[in-house]
Amino acid sequence: MIRRVRIALALLACALAAGLLRAERGWPGASREPNAAAQRVTFNRDVAPILFRFCAACHRPGESAPFSLLTYADAKSHARQIAAVTQARIMPPWLPAPGEFKFADELRLTEEQIRVFRRWVEDGEAEGAASDLPPRPRFLPGWQLGKPDLILKAPKPYLLPASGTDQYWNFIFRTPLKETRWLNAIEIRPGDQRLVHHANVLVDRLESSRAQETTPGAGFGGMEIKIESEAFDPDSHFLFWKPGSVPRKEPEGMALRLDAGTDLVLNVHLQPSGKPEWIQPSIGLYFTDQPATKFPMLLQLENDAKLDIPPGAHDFVVTDDFTLPEDVELLAIYPHAHYLGRDLQAFATFPDGEKKSLLHIPNWDLNWQAVYRYAQPVHLPAGTAVSMHYTYDNSEENPLNPNSPPKRVVAGNRASDEMAHLWLQVLPDAPVTAASDPRRVLQEALARHKIENNPGDFEAHYNLAAVLQQRGEVAEAARHYELALRIRPESAIANNAYGGALMAAGHPESAVKYLAAALRARPDYFDACYNLGLALAMENDFAGAEGYFRRAVQLAPEDANAEANLGSALAALGKNDEARLHLQRALALNPGLSFARENLDQLPPPDKKR
Amino acid sequence: MRRVARILGFARSTRYALALVFAFLAVAFAASAQEAVDLSGTRTSPLQHWRGKVLVLVFVRTDCPISNRYAPLIQQLSAKYAARAAFLLVFPDKAESPGAIRAYLRDFGYTIPALRDTDHALVKKAGARVTPEAAVFNAKRDLVYRGRIDDLYPALGKSRHAASTHELADAIDAAVRGVAPPRASAEAAGCVIADLQ
Repeated sequence: MIRRVRIALALLACALAAGLLRAERGWPGASREPNAAAQRVTFNRDVAPILFRFCAACHRPGESAPFSLLTYADAKSHARQIAAVTQARIMPPWLPAPGEFKFADELRLTEEQIRVFRRWVEDGEAEGAASDLPPRPRFLPGWQLGKPDLILKAPKPYLLPASGTDQYWNFIFRTPLKETRWLNAIEIRPGDQRLVHHANVLVDRLESSRAQETTPGAGFGGMEIKIESEAFDPDSHFLFWKPGSVPRKEPEGMALRLDAGTDLVLNVHLQPSGKPEWIQPSIGLYFTDQPATKFPMLLQLENDAKLDIPPGAHDFVVTDDFTLPEDVELLAIYPHAHYLGRDLQAFATFPDGEKKSLLHIPNWDLNWQAVYRYAQPVHLPAGTAVSMHYTYDNSEENPLNPNSPPKRVVAGNRASDEMAHLWLQVLPDAPVTAASDPRRVLQEALARHKIENNPGDFEAHYNLAAVLQQRGEVAEAARHYELALRIRPESAIANNAYGGALMAAGHPESAVKYLAAALRARPDYFDACYNLGLALAMENDFAGAEGYFRRAVQLAPEDANAEANLGSALAALGKNDEARLHLQRALALNPGLSFARENLDQLPPPDKKR
Repeated sequence: MRRVARILGFARSTRYALALVFAFLAVAFAASAQEAVDLSGTRTSPLQHWRGKVLVLVFVRTDCPISNRYAPLIQQLSAKYAARAAFLLVFPDKAESPGAIRAYLRDFGYTIPALRDTDHALVKKAGARVTPEAAVFNAKRDLVYRGRIDDLYPALGKSRHAASTHELADAIDAAVRGVAPPRASAEAAGCVIADLQ
């Protein structure tokens, strides 16, 4: 009656299918450069084509931008502003410098295009000939990928205060699925787009975020959240929304698995508008019949342990270098730092020593963070070192410094703390088979690398243990769970997993203490409850086991294993009638449960009515 | 015949009436044009009113998200200094109608009076370049501060998590005490007023 112990993997997940600019659809290229100095720049001929292509997706009614840029009057009443923000490359918002590899949907103006705006102001902001005006871009109203198969609305709206600092709010969408489905797109509609700076969907398969809600459906605050997920189900997709982006269908074969009971957590960055506002986002799910055949994975480089930035430091550098143990295709990249981050670089050093830039953001701005998807996947052979090289400015001269005067800043989740993270979405070249999974190799190498960087990294020990346990190296797995527990003795998931590893290693007597600790930390933790019942049953303490299995059945009434174990424990205690009932219920839930069938068959026939 | 400006939304005490007389005289001698228009369409010279009080002009426009975000703070500051300083919202965009401005004031919970500066006379007097930008005139109507409200938006396109300096409050504090503000100006970042000519 051993049930595979479920293992949870704590991962900080993130972010999407970054944005295809809506206006790009069928729209011809940039404006023609006015060919002669003598020719005056006009709105209709020169300015409108650039605005329509690069700006109108957001600068139109109902979208994120504060004003529209669709007409001559619109543009004229912001002409100098446009010239200034394009010159400073603040608009359109696009942080990466041009680099080695092109990104999809780059929102970068050419020098010529920027000059058009400047010259338009200098030339007197003329409208020009009506015949020069290109047709206005057409935008799809509503859902950009068509009507979703399932629309989920946040259970309760969030009231954004009129003033104060930026707010980070998390909405939990409870999915009503009865069975596993495959998603080929998620469309995020964050609510009032003027208030939302960016939004991320995180897949929470273990309902691990719900404990943070004060009442179910209320949502919860927080800038960086942790989601627990099952082992060997590492986060795989960026599900990110920023102003102007539209969802894109996942590439063929790269559908995202969504199980019954999975929660989707939407993390939203909001800026107060000056008046109180209600926010109630929706998400649209698009299903496919095609299960995934390709399994991308998110790799996180980080070195938060090295973030200890003295006040006044201009150029505080944090790096991390990770050598890939497998051939992969790099699909997308997502850098993350807070307000002190200034220059963010990522590069690859190939096995032959050649170094290529993967991303360079010379003027980082958290407010415009984004996922960048490569126009073509970047092939990174095994042995390639991927590097993160971030420079932080904790001086007075950094206009975004949260502290004035500057203070010592270390890593943390608050906006005034710092972070040094770089996420890569990679697709291993080797296929996933029953016998081998290249993601495990990556996961193990990454966990070992992180432990080297920071022996106090709870998640790294935990994740490494999970990989080792999966591979059957039980003793080594138990060692890393124990190291994780030394870092966080109260952790429910680590106590449960360590207990599970001890049981798997044949030491249920030692497991009891840890499973009980897990259950103390999280009284409604089904896995811990189930495992504790199991450990006691393995020790022939059926009376003790009965209580925990009863609780497990209450926590998960649809779980066939819990019912079967309860029935088996009751049978061992001689409570045959009740045992029969639970074994039958287990078989109704899962007719293939052979041990339940065997135990049922061994029960003496029911007492005849007297 | 010159009319005394009607400024709506203010209690008219005797002292206020006297001040208006002075204002009227001053206008007569200075002989400058009435600079602005109130929401009922009456031309007015706000710099001539509220003599003895500090005068704070805050330049805003209805479609500027940066000035919008400051609405609660501007309203709070006006309440805090009500006894010593008069606040006026100045809308320099002639395309913004009185009706649209009234709706905007309601939306954002403003109770301080608003003026339209369609000829940019106040913009010039204050030297304002963007919205939001504040100008503080002392009781003698010397311009003692011009610039940003605080450093929430420290540069074009940049916004901090929270403000760390509070230039406008500091300037009003100094002006009501009759001393020079710590800074006479601080560069404001926001929406360019020159686009509204």
